[in-house]
Amino acid sequence: MNPAIRWDDELGVLRAEARRWLDERFPIARVRALADSEAGEDPADWKELAALGWLGLVVPEKYGGAGLGALHLSVLMEETGRRLLPSPLLSSTLAALALCEGGSEAQRERWLPPLVAGETRFALATDAAAVWGGERADLFVARLGDRFALVAAGEPALRVQAELVLDRTRRSARLTLDGVRPGADALLPTGAEELPARLAPRACLALAAEMAGGADALLALTAAYAATREQFGKPIGSFQAVKHPLVNVLLGVESLRSLVYAAASAFDAGRPEAETLARMAKAKACDVYVFAASRAVQLHGGYGFTIDCDAHLYLKRAQTTRPAFGDAMAQRRWLAAALLDS
Amino acid sequence: MDEHETLRAEVRAWIGCNHPGDPGWKLPQSALEVADDRQFGWLRDWQRKLYDAGWVGAEWPAEYGGGGRPRGAQRAIDQELARARAPFLLNLVGLSWAGPVILHYGSEAQKRRLLRPLLRCDEIWCQGFSEPGAGSDLAALATRALRSGDGWEIDGHKVWTTLGRYADWCILLARSDPAAAKHAGISYFLAPMKIPGVSVQPLVKMTGEGGFNQVIWSRARIPADALLGREGQGWEIATATLQFERGAAEGSAGGQGGGTSDVARLVALARGLERGGRPALEDPLVRDRLAQFWVDETALRANAGRALVAGLVAERPAALPLMSKLASSEHGQALADFACELLGPAAGLWIGDPHAPENAEWQRSYLNSFALTIAGGTSEILRNILGERVLGLPKTR
Repeated sequence: MNPAIRWDDELGVLRAEARRWLDERFPIARVRALADSEAGEDPADWKELAALGWLGLVVPEKYGGAGLGALHLSVLMEETGRRLLPSPLLSSTLAALALCEGGSEAQRERWLPPLVAGETRFALATDAAAVWGGERADLFVARLGDRFALVAAGEPALRVQAELVLDRTRRSARLTLDGVRPGADALLPTGAEELPARLAPRACLALAAEMAGGADALLALTAAYAATREQFGKPIGSFQAVKHPLVNVLLGVESLRSLVYAAASAFDAGRPEAETLARMAKAKACDVYVFAASRAVQLHGGYGFTIDCDAHLYLKRAQTTRPAFGDAMAQRRWLAAALLDS
Repeated sequence: MDEHETLRAEVRAWIGCNHPGDPGWKLPQSALEVADDRQFGWLRDWQRKLYDAGWVGAEWPAEYGGGGRPRGAQRAIDQELARARAPFLLNLVGLSWAGPVILHYGSEAQKRRLLRPLLRCDEIWCQGFSEPGAGSDLAALATRALRSGDGWEIDGHKVWTTLGRYADWCILLARSDPAAAKHAGISYFLAPMKIPGVSVQPLVKMTGEGGFNQVIWSRARIPADALLGREGQGWEIATATLQFERGAAEGSAGGQGGGTSDVARLVALARGLERGGRPALEDPLVRDRLAQFWVDETALRANAGRALVAGLVAERPAALPLMSKLASSEHGQALADFACELLGPAAGLWIGDPHAPENAEWQRSYLNSFALTIAGGTSEILRNILGERVLGLPKTR
């Protein structure tokens, strides 16, 4: 496979704008303050995300979205990952993709416009636990036995319980769906097995892009520390025992970004290897992000083990993002089958 | 890539009719292992044939024997040749390191004299950089260049000289000013090899193969016009040469298409093997490792693709070029090691044993893989360079 990578200046503009806005709006002190807050997020941010058009970035134009593709989404996810965005943009995006992939035309027409506008908040519940953004969602795309259904947060039989989470920049909830009886118009036409399978490639790519941004931020954070922190009268980054593991993180981050943009290019060009590349990206992302985070904590030394150092924020994000839509082992199991059993 | 589609089709059609096939005896795995005259003659004829067809030096200027084609053409040609499993190009040091450097730093007379025979394999090039006392610390080299009459007199001891036995020319680093600072006193020469005072002695590699030499320069007189660039500019040009050697700079005249998929070869191997009485491909641990190699091989290729996209390398432009040799050589080594592990006890058999799978090609690949993690800057030196130039870490030392 010789993956071709597409790029244009418009993507560079999106990256620059996203980075500027995120840097200004989410300095790490504010991310920490939101992580420590009861809600975990600020509703004003959600309005801004809607105003920027990011909630509907990949939603087709006829439903009010921007109708953009995988490359645009990858750029945006990479930038939000860099800043540990404490707002469920990814969860909403996955729910939007689920509606696009698996909803009926009537459901798309009814629900995508308010999702894009930020009026109705969506969360995707492929499983009843670890539902990102679940506590404050208005509507769930939730698995109910052998179907998926749209379930309103106000549904009397539905119970939404906030989970106590490791990564407090990404909140989640546990749903109890016993007794929820959706009407026919709330049932998605796509089967319960089929929808996650259809969603997985794009979800893997979005997750891998977000993880690439986080790993890249960790690399910058740790390299800057190693260049200035002195022991034995020298910056610790001059020691090969510190320098070489950081370069190993660099090798991982660069390879991960290449796989992410190769996969995104394949999606946008409609090429058949898109899913393979997306799963490769997710497999690589799981390993690289956790490795980058562990090296960040370790190389910050005693300070790295404290809550004051930012490394642990990313470490927790890496650990909790890893299983979503399949960890590295699960991705490699899929890839091995594609490579060996065809 | 699509802009070269016509060219690619031409190359495919040509190689379809002109593939030399298997000579019926053991070819070396790369230009680093050319050990006997039969191999040498066969490979020289092959490069000539490619040159005459226009597939070598495709992007180099026509006045120096090149094809004058646009940027990217050589890469397209190399990829098509690699895909057709065409044999490698013999004059590696000339095509990929010496030639591009001469194009950049050479005088008009040097370019006119040296480049065409280099492309056509009429003259073979070798590299005189490393010395017994100057490996990773290359600038510690002790070979002397003394002004003598109209030219220079060279005294010194060079090692790791690939193709040294066959070479007509050598890109030679020597200390021309012993009083100057370490890096400043070095000059870069395009030195003739077939002259009095140059003695080439074969070194035997751990594979038992030759192809690798040490060269003793003993009062060897070379002309004034052998100097490349200015006196004392040697370190700068050596650094540029290493950029080409590490695949960090573009400009090669050919032979850089990359192998066909090593993972595909590994899978083919695994398909025929058993572990514990069951097909190896049913072992979930084997499957996981194979998938991992597939991910990594694809990432290497995606890296090569992304390196060409300015908008996606703007933040660390040096990273992908500088990591290319490091990442690919370590991947290749790990993959060959895993192949040997899969072979089980048969990995202990060597070339010629009737029971050695693929005539011990994987064992040979594994041993040879260390050439790539050591030559052109060891993996350790490259990690230092990446840490310092790309991550901005303070210098080691």
